[in-house]
Amino acid sequence: MMQVKLRLNGEDRQLRCEPGDTLLRALRREGCFSVRYGSDTGETGAAAVLLDGRLVSADVLLAAQADGHEVTTLESLNVATGELHPIQAAFVETGALQGGYSAGAMVLAAKALLERSPEPTDAEIRDALSGILDRETGYAKVVEAVRRAATALRGEKPGPLDPPILEPIGLEAALAIRPPADSTPDAPLALPRMVLSPDVGHTAVVGKAEPKVEGLRLAKGNAAFADDIELRAMLHAKLLTSPYAHARIVAVDDSKARALSGVHEVLHHFNTPHVRYASGGQSWPNPYPYDQVSFDDKVRYVGDRVAAVAADTPETAEEACTLIDVTYEVLPAALSASEATGDGAPVIHDETDSVGIYDAARNLSHHIEGQTVSDEALEAAFASADHVFTQSFSVPAQQHTPIEPHAVVGWLDEDERLVLRSSTQVPFHLRRMVAPLVGREVKEIRVVKPRLGGGFGSKQEMVTEDVVGLLVLATRRPVSMVFNREQEFISSRTRHAQSLTFRTGVMSDGTLVAQDLTVLADTGAYGTHGFTVQSLTGARGLSSYNCPAKRYRCDVAYTNRPVAGAFRGYGAPQAFFALESHLDDVAAAIGLDPIELRRKNWVRTGDRLDIVPRLGERGGVEDVSEEDLPVVTSCGTERCVAEGVRAIGWQRRDDPSWRQPDDRPNIRRGIGLALCMQGSGIPFVDMGACSIKMNDDASFNLLAGAADLGTGADTIFAQIAAEVLGVRASDIIVLSGDTDVTPFDKGAYASSTTYISGMAVKRAAEAARARIVERAGRLLGIEEEWVELRDRRAWAPDGHSVPLEDIALNALHTEDQEQIMGIASHWSPDSPAPFGAQFAEVEVDVETGEVTVTKLVMAVDCGVPINPLTASGQVEGGMIQSLGYGLTEEIVLDGQGRPLNAAFGPYWIFRADDTPPTEVIFVQTMEHSGPFGAKSVGEIPIDGVAPAVRNAVRNATGVAIDTLPLTPERVWRALQGR
Amino acid sequence: MPVFVPASLEEAFAVLEGAPGAQLLAGGTDFMVEVNAGQRRPATVVALGAVPELKGWRLDGDEVVLGAGLTYTEMISPELAELVPGLAQAARTVGSPQIRNAGTLGGNIATASPAGDTLPMLMALGATMTLGRSDGGRRAVGLDELVVGPKRTTLQPGEVLLEVRVRAGAGRQEFLKVGTRNAMVIAVASAAVVVDFERRSVRVALGSVGPVVIRAEEVEREAAKLIDWDARRLVGPLEGSGDFGELVRTAARPIDDHRSTAAYRRHAAGVCVTRAFRRAFSSEESTAP
Repeated sequence: MMQVKLRLNGEDRQLRCEPGDTLLRALRREGCFSVRYGSDTGETGAAAVLLDGRLVSADVLLAAQADGHEVTTLESLNVATGELHPIQAAFVETGALQGGYSAGAMVLAAKALLERSPEPTDAEIRDALSGILDRETGYAKVVEAVRRAATALRGEKPGPLDPPILEPIGLEAALAIRPPADSTPDAPLALPRMVLSPDVGHTAVVGKAEPKVEGLRLAKGNAAFADDIELRAMLHAKLLTSPYAHARIVAVDDSKARALSGVHEVLHHFNTPHVRYASGGQSWPNPYPYDQVSFDDKVRYVGDRVAAVAADTPETAEEACTLIDVTYEVLPAALSASEATGDGAPVIHDETDSVGIYDAARNLSHHIEGQTVSDEALEAAFASADHVFTQSFSVPAQQHTPIEPHAVVGWLDEDERLVLRSSTQVPFHLRRMVAPLVGREVKEIRVVKPRLGGGFGSKQEMVTEDVVGLLVLATRRPVSMVFNREQEFISSRTRHAQSLTFRTGVMSDGTLVAQDLTVLADTGAYGTHGFTVQSLTGARGLSSYNCPAKRYRCDVAYTNRPVAGAFRGYGAPQAFFALESHLDDVAAAIGLDPIELRRKNWVRTGDRLDIVPRLGERGGVEDVSEEDLPVVTSCGTERCVAEGVRAIGWQRRDDPSWRQPDDRPNIRRGIGLALCMQGSGIPFVDMGACSIKMNDDASFNLLAGAADLGTGADTIFAQIAAEVLGVRASDIIVLSGDTDVTPFDKGAYASSTTYISGMAVKRAAEAARARIVERAGRLLGIEEEWVELRDRRAWAPDGHSVPLEDIALNALHTEDQEQIMGIASHWSPDSPAPFGAQFAEVEVDVETGEVTVTKLVMAVDCGVPINPLTASGQVEGGMIQSLGYGLTEEIVLDGQGRPLNAAFGPYWIFRADDTPPTEVIFVQTMEHSGPFGAKSVGEIPIDGVAPAVRNAVRNATGVAIDTLPLTPERVWRALQGR
Repeated sequence: MPVFVPASLEEAFAVLEGAPGAQLLAGGTDFMVEVNAGQRRPATVVALGAVPELKGWRLDGDEVVLGAGLTYTEMISPELAELVPGLAQAARTVGSPQIRNAGTLGGNIATASPAGDTLPMLMALGATMTLGRSDGGRRAVGLDELVVGPKRTTLQPGEVLLEVRVRAGAGRQEFLKVGTRNAMVIAVASAAVVVDFERRSVRVALGSVGPVVIRAEEVEREAAKLIDWDARRLVGPLEGSGDFGELVRTAARPIDDHRSTAAYRRHAAGVCVTRAFRRAFSSEESTAP
C-alpha cells in the first residue's frame, strides 16, 4: 500500500492505494461514481477527470501519478441538493444525456473548455469532446448543450428549445426547387424540425420537449448504474474465456486457482449444473434452439465461457483465471457461414441434448421460408418482367459497443432471495430465464434494472447473470461482475453478418412484378435470436414496396465466431442495405430516377403487408386470408421524402460544378437516399403493464415494468400520464423495471416501449383519472363526465375548480377513504410501422478512397412523437450508429478465429469531431392505435444511413459497392476497377 | 509493482540505479493500456511526470530543445507551433484532448510504434535525442539509431530520454496521414515532408508503412530535382498532375493487417507525400493536416 496525497474536489486528501491502482479505481473507491469504466485504454473517455484543470483519462493514469496534483471530478459541481450547475442544466435541457453514463466526463470536458474559451466555436467544442465516446446521442445535442452552457455562463440568455415548425412541402414542389441548396432553418440542428398533421389535437404535455425525468441523477453523476454500488464483503468476478475457436474441454484443474489467497469460488463445466437454454430475452416460451449451458464441455468461439472466478479483488480474480489449468482437445473450426454449411465442415453443435436445432449436422440453426405465391407463379412473374436483375450483398458483424459494458451485481437479501442488479433491457424475462439455471424458483429471484449506459439489444441477452447468480449462491457473498471492453466486443453479442441476394423483376416503367430474396446468415456459435432476426430480414426486405410475387428463403448457420443476437434494427439494417442499394442500381439500369422508381411501388396507407404472416420454418405458400394481412394504418413516406429532398438539396446531384469542385480535384460529391420502415412491438405477443397511485400532494408514483435503457421511456411515460391526469410531467415519479415492485413488461426491444408500454401507461392513468373525476364531481357538485383535469386542478364547465391536491387529501384522509390508483396492461394485434426517408451527402476522395459524410438527414413518420427532443435523440444516435455500420465497423478475426480489433481505435465508432451534421424532421401522422397517435422511433433510424451513404458514393463516383463497411481501401479498389 | 514518482532527475537516476530494469512511465497513454491488459507486469515503475528537468522547451541558439516530457498539448501552443510547425501538425492529429494532455514526446518516441504520430516529423526534421545516465553520461542519437523496430529501442537499462533537439523554423513542414476513416485515426499511412529553403534540402519520412519510420532518400533526391529553389516553386511533373506514387511505393515496406493491405498502404503513403509537397509549395499557411 502507498499513500497518495492529492487535492480532490477542493479538499486535501490522502488516499491509500495499491501501487498499481489506476486513478479510476482510487476515485471510485472514494465515492466518485461519476468516474466510470468504459475500457482499460482511455479510449471511451468515460473515466475522464480534470488533473490540474486539464482533461485526462483516469483509466490510464496511475493513482500515484496524481500525487501532489489537483483532481476534479463531476462531484465538485454537486453543491446543492436538487440543484444543477449551469453546464449540468444545459445537458439536461438539450437532451444531451441519454444513458448519461459518461455525463461526468462530458461536463468536465465542457468545463475545461469554457474556462479557457468562453465563446467556443463548434469545432472547438467537438474537439474538446472528441475523446469521450457516446454511442447514444450522435453528439448533436451534446455539442448544443456545451454551446448553451457557454451562453448561460457568459450571463446571456440561451435561445428557446422549441422545435421549429416547417411549412409542409409536396414532393413535386420539393423536386422543383431551383436552385437546389440545402435548406436549414436558423434553429440549431440539435432541434428536430416538425411537420404537423391537422389530425393531431392539442395536448399540454405530450408532444413537448420535456427534460428527462432522470436528468438530475444523470447530470450529477449520482450512483445510478448497476456497478455504482459497493456492498460489504462484495466479491469481484472474472470470466476465463476460450483461446480456441472450437475445442472440447477435456479437464479443468482449478486447484492452483483455488489455492490463491483471496479466491472464493471457481466455476466451470465440471462443478456446475447442465441446463440447456437460449440466452435471448424473449417472451415465453423462448424460441428455439436451446443450445447453450452455463459452462459447456465444449467451447465454440474464441471468447466463449470456460470458467468464472469470484475473489476479493478484480486483480485476484484475474490472476486466478490464469491459474486455471484447462485441457483442451482442439477441433477444426468453421469461420464463415459458407464454410460452415459446406461439405466436410466440423459440426459445431454435436451434442445430443440441445433442443430445436434445425439441422445440427449441417450447422444450420434455422431455416426460414415465406412466399406470397407459389414457386411456379413466382417464376412466371419473373418471366413476364421487362427486366430481371440479380445482385448480391455482404454485411458484417457489427458490435453494439454500449459505453457501459454488461454489469451485474448480485446478492442474497435478508430473506435469502437472489437479487440481481443488472444492466438489462429485459428484467422480467431475465428473472424467468435465470431461475432454472441457478436452480431457484422465479419467486426466489428479484431483478432490478438501474439506469443503463446503452444496450442496443446486447442487453436483451442473458450474458452474465446466470454466472453471477451461481457465484452468489456458491459463496453467499455479494458478487460484482463487469465485462472488460474486449469481452464486451467478443463475448457479448454482435449483429448477424449476412450474405443477401436480391432477384427483382421490374417493368420498364418501374413497376415491380417479382421479388426474391435469399439470405445466408451467420449466427455465430449459438442460435439466440437466429429465427426472429432473420425473419425480420425477410419481413423488412419484402414489405416496403408493393409487388405481386414475393419469396424469401434464408439459412441461418452456426459458425465458430462470436455470437450474433439482438441488435437495434434486428435484421432490418441488413435487409435495407441490400434492398435500397439494389433498387437504386435497378433504377439507374432502366433509366429511372431513384425516387420515381420507389414512388411507383412504395406502400401507402391502406395497403396490406403480405409477407409478414407467411414467414415460418415451413416451406411453401402460407395460406393467409387477405383480411388477416396487416394493413398500413398510417404512412408518411411521400411527405418524408419531400421534406428530405428539400433539406438535403437533392437536385445538386445534377449540378456538375457541385459534384466536382474546381478547387479540389481529388473530390467527388454525391447525394444518396434510402427509405425504411420498422414495426412497433410484436403483435399479439408483447405486453406491458403499469400502475399509478396518487399521493397527498397530487403527485403520482408511476410503476412500469418497462426498461428505459437511456432512450427516454420513463420521461414519455411521465408525459403520457401527466397529460391524462392534468398535471406536470415533473409531478410523476417514475420507477421502472424492478420485478419485485413494478408490474410486468416484456422489456425494451422490438420498438415496443412507446407503443405498447406507453399505451399501458395511458390506460393506467385513465383508470386513476376515473377515480379522480368521480371524487371531483362530488366535490364540485357536478356529474363526473363534465369534469376536466388540467393545470393540477379539476374543473367544472362553469369555471369552478378544485385543486387535485384537495382531492388527494380528501381521498386519503377525510371522506370514504381510498388509495386513488389505476393499473392496466396493454398488448396489441397491430404493429404499425414508422416510415422514414434517409439522405446522405458525401465527399469521396478518389485518390485515397476516403468517404467523408458531410450531412445526414432523416425525415421520419413515427406518428406523433411524445417528446420531440428525446425522439430526435434516438434518431440522431441511430443515424450515427448506422453510419459506423456503413463506413467503419466490423469485427475482424484472424485465421484462428481470434479477434484482431476488439478495442476502440482499431474498431472505430464515430466521435464528436468526425460526426457529420444531422438534421431530423418529424413528419407527423396520426396513428389511432398508439398512445396519443404515437408509433415507434427507436430502431428505424438505424435502417437507412448505410445504404444512403453507399448510394451517395455511387452517385459521386459511379462505383457500386455491395459490401460493408465502405473502408477507404474498399472504395479505392472499386475506383481502380472502374 | 512498486511505483516511484521522483521529483527531480537526480532522484529518478537514484531510483534507476537501484532498479536499472525499472519501467519508465511518461504520460501512460500507451503503457497503461498494456498494464491493464495484463501484457506487461513491470517489476518497478518510475513515473517521470514530476521531473521538472524533462518538462517544457527552450531555445538554444538556432535549435529548439524539447523536453521529453513535453505534452502534445504543449506542442500545439502557438509559440512552439511557430518554431516547429510540423510537430504541431502531428500533435493535432493525436487522439483526443485526454491523450494530448497526458501523452508526451518522449513517451511517443520510447513506445516506438510504427504509427507513432510524432516520429515521421522528427525523422524529417533530423531531430537528435539526448539520452542520459545516472553517472552523468550523455549521448546524442538520431531517431533511426534510437528506434530500431516495432516497440524496440536502443535505450539501455538505467538510461533516460532527456530531450529532443530540432532546428528552429526549418522551412516548410507538412504532416499528413490517411486513416480508416478520416485523418484523425491511427494512420494506415502517414508522411512528413520538410522543405528547407535556406539549406535547399528536402527530407521525407514515412510512417505506418514499415517496422520503423522510413526515411525516403530516393524520394528526397528526386524531389530536390523538381524544385526551383530561387522561385520557391515546384517544376516539372509535380507542377501538373504528377506524383511521387511509384517512388514512395518502392520505399515503403508495409505489411497487411486488418486495417489495410500492404498495397493500399503503399499507395496511401504516395498520396500523402505528393500532397505534402503540394502543400509545402502552396501559398496557404498550413495549420491542419
